[in-house]
Order: sequence, then C-alpha cells, then structure tokens
Amino acid sequence: MNPLSKILMLGAVLMVAGCAGAPKRYDYANFRTEAPRSILVVPVTNKSVDVNAPDYFLATIATPLAERGYYVFPVNMVKSVLSDDGLSDANLVHAGDPRRLGELFGADAVMYISIERWDAKYVVLSTSVTVELNYVMKSAHTGQELWSNHQRIVYQPQANSGGIAGLIANAVVAAMAKAAPNYMPLAHQANNGAINVKGTGLPAGPYDGLFGKDRSEY
Amino acid sequence: MNARVLFIAPFLVGLLAGCVTNHQRYGWGTYDPSLYAYYKHPTKEAALAESLEAIISTADSHHAPVPPGIYAEYGYLQLQGGKTLAAVDLFKQEESHWPESKVFMDRMIKVASTPTTTSTTK
Repeated sequence: MNPLSKILMLGAVLMVAGCAGAPKRYDYANFRTEAPRSILVVPVTNKSVDVNAPDYFLATIATPLAERGYYVFPVNMVKSVLSDDGLSDANLVHAGDPRRLGELFGADAVMYISIERWDAKYVVLSTSVTVELNYVMKSAHTGQELWSNHQRIVYQPQANSGGIAGLIANAVVAAMAKAAPNYMPLAHQANNGAINVKGTGLPAGPYDGLFGKDRSEY
Repeated sequence: MNARVLFIAPFLVGLLAGCVTNHQRYGWGTYDPSLYAYYKHPTKEAALAESLEAIISTADSHHAPVPPGIYAEYGYLQLQGGKTLAAVDLFKQEESHWPESKVFMDRMIKVASTPTTTSTTK
C-alpha cells in the first residue's frame, strides 16, 4: 500500500469512527440567548509534553469554525497581538476575563481550548497516537459558558492482513509514526467531532442558512 | 495502491460523505498546512504570505467570498514586514467584508498608521 492510500484509509476510518455513538445533548440555553456571530480563538493551553502542540493545533481550528458559519478572528494575528500586549502565556489568557478580550477585539464569544494529551506511545510492533482536547466557549459579553466539548481521539494502526505480513506492516507504520508522528489528521478529526455533531456540536453560525433555525437539532 | 484498497476506498469515502453535513463554504487553499509549516519552521513566513495571497486572488477570480480572517492575517504579515500602507488596505478589506472585525481592525489600522512604533500596545 502506498503512503497516499494509507492516509486515505486512516482518514476515512477516523471519520467513520467520529460518526458513531450518540452522546447526550448539550444544553444550548445560554448559547441561544446570545446567538454569537463571531468567535475569538485565543492561544491554546497545553498539558502535553509537546511544547509545539498548541501552535500546531491552532493551524487546524479556524477552518472548521468558519465553515460552520461564524466569523473567526485571524488566529495567528490574534496570537501575535496578544503576545505584543504581554499576553504570550496562554494560561494567563485563559485565566483572564473573557469580557476584557471581548472589548479589545469586539468579539461575541471567546473559544478556550486546552490540549490534555498529544502524544505517541511506542511498543515494539505497534504505536498508538492520542489527541485529547477540551473546548470551552464563553460569552465575551457576560463571561458565562455558552458551549463546551471534550474530544479524545486515539489512532492505533491496524494491520490489514494477518500473520507475519500484518506484523511487518504494523512495525513499518509504527516506525513511520515514531520518526514523525503526524497529529494533524487527529486534530482535524477532534475538531470535526467537537463542532459538527448534532446535539453536542456548535449550532449553525450567522453565515449559514440554518442560523437560528436548527433548534430541533441543537 | 493495491486492488483491495482501490475497491474499499470509494465505500469508505461514501460513508464519510454521509456524516459530513456541510460542504466547503470557502476556498481555503493551503491555509492549514501553510500555517502549520510556518509554526514548524518560522522561516517559512514568505510561503504563508503567498498562501494567503493565493486564497484572496482565487476567491476574487471566482467572485467568491474570502474566508474570515484571511485579509487580516495577510495584512498583519505585511505590517510585520514594514509595509504599512498595504497592511492598512488589507485591514480595511477585512473590515468591509466582515463587519464583526470592525473593533479589532480599527485598532490595528490605528496601530499601523502610527509611524513611530510597531507595537500594538503603544
């Protein structure tokens, strides 16, 4: 199997996994009261040992939120501007008042994301890669929570043929992952699972035709 | 790609399509991978700028909306490169296309128009 088909298979399997299950519906009362139009994604806090994980993750989050129909503030610019203002420490930003950020940027809502896990575990013949994230959206007007979600995505390469051939395939994949574990597909999958699932995800934003009309699903 | 994968892949893609409810609203070009590459290698700022410019020109040529934040991100790179006029123009574009950005863009236009400093705090 060539690398492209491997990536396709992994992506498809993760997507399918993301559709399964029906967690309990989120309470959208606060969200509906405010009906935010714009989302300020602040720098991501990090409990993993990978110091680069927050920046890498930041590269994946604007797209799905904007595609959901929201105005998303420019994530890299926001990060730099906050840093210029002495707020380069994401933990400080998260501990601060969302209303203050709302004033500075003119945002309706602030998205706080924390990386709980972002790691790869190596065993002799297999590897598992885990991404675990917490999403909390707060009102930039009142400070109250509007929405939250938790995602844990584990990727464990499975051999697609049994026996020795399968073991070798696993070892090859594990070696690849060890050389350069690619967390990006998992981050995309976590975002998709957080944002785009009916009953627990984000209701449609103002640039989606269903804005305010999807109450039966959210 | 072996025959088995060729056979299975369309089925999986079909399943995938069944659970993704929204089509792509915007053309993002290489935004995600370019920003990722930039964070991985900060020397790749020029490539990120090129990617942002390509998103804007592609959207313009298709009379499609430029995704939120893209004019501003591109403008901010211009500002960091000392091209304040280009930066202000891009911040104004962001503001006129996306009224939600008004407070932030007005502030950044003010910063860019102040010749003595490049800091946003002053």
